Amino acid sequence: MNDPLMKLKNSMKKTVFKDFSFSDERKNAVKEAIRSNQSQQQYNTWKAETIMAVLGSVQQQPMQGYDISIQLFQKGELIFQNNEGQLYTLLHLLENKEILTSSWSDNKKHYALTPKGKKYLAAYKQDNSHQPVSLKHLLEEASLWAQQNLKNF
Amino acid sequence: MNELELMAVTEENMMDEREQIIDHLMHEYSDDILHLAYTYVKNRTTAEDLTQEIFIKCYEKLNQFNQQATMKTWLYRIAINHCKDYLKSWHYRKIMLNDKILDWIPSKSTHVEKEIITKIEENSLTDAVMNLPLKYREIVYLHYYEELPLAEISKITSVNINTIKTRLKRAKELLKDRMIKEV
Repeated sequence: MNDPLMKLKNSMKKTVFKDFSFSDERKNAVKEAIRSNQSQQQYNTWKAETIMAVLGSVQQQPMQGYDISIQLFQKGELIFQNNEGQLYTLLHLLENKEILTSSWSDNKKHYALTPKGKKYLAAYKQDNSHQPVSLKHLLEEASLWAQQNLKNF
Repeated sequence: MNELELMAVTEENMMDEREQIIDHLMHEYSDDILHLAYTYVKNRTTAEDLTQEIFIKCYEKLNQFNQQATMKTWLYRIAINHCKDYLKSWHYRKIMLNDKILDWIPSKSTHVEKEIITKIEENSLTDAVMNLPLKYREIVYLHYYEELPLAEISKITSVNINTIKTRLKRAKELLKDRMIKEV
């Protein structure tokens, strides 16, 4: 049986797809997007331990960013060493996600755990062997959020 | 070199490797993906934009690729889902459809004549296929243009193989009707 659809490939190549290919400029645009994505990711993925160390340090009492960084350093969490700015990015993010709350006194911003933050911390401590699902979710959300924010800059 | 630096280097290499994979995929399949996207959105610029996004998406999801499928199947799946998401998007439904309505208003321009000539030459089969409802169009395209076996189409579209057979049959009936009407 002669199937007229056998001619489809030829027909399309001569019509809708004629002189229609993915240009080098377009390919380069993809490569550029990938590269900028790489540099974003390097700065914006947090380890669960880091987040939990931050939450742990404000567990007892509200603290300002500087004191948190000192505490982290004492605990041996060195990720923010020579890179303190990133701590504030993370604090903002956690505040935005309602894991931390903040208040101003003495012209300084003090961070404290919200009930949601306490829950995360408790869940993490209880189950240290593997990441609680909610935290994994948070981490993914965190990097997404950071990416979107970067795009707005 | 301490451990931290070493980790940073391997990370970098991995980045390079992922970039190379995308590079290779683009080299091999970018025209195919572009044409595939066109059959969904019927607009060259939109198809180009979507293709660009599809490869970026692949890069982001590369770590989710499991060896069960071939890379091509995986790429096509991402592409098709992305095109369908676009067709469902607010932007398409509200903005592109308005443009489409404009297309329906008869134009007085000179290329009407040209349009008619090309139509007579080659277009009728392509046109008929492109005007099929999406669920038939995609299967006809994948089977007759991409020459993919039905089992493969089933994997790519997540549609049951028997459903695909039915749709293919129905698509042929529809095409027959339309081609006859045109002649």
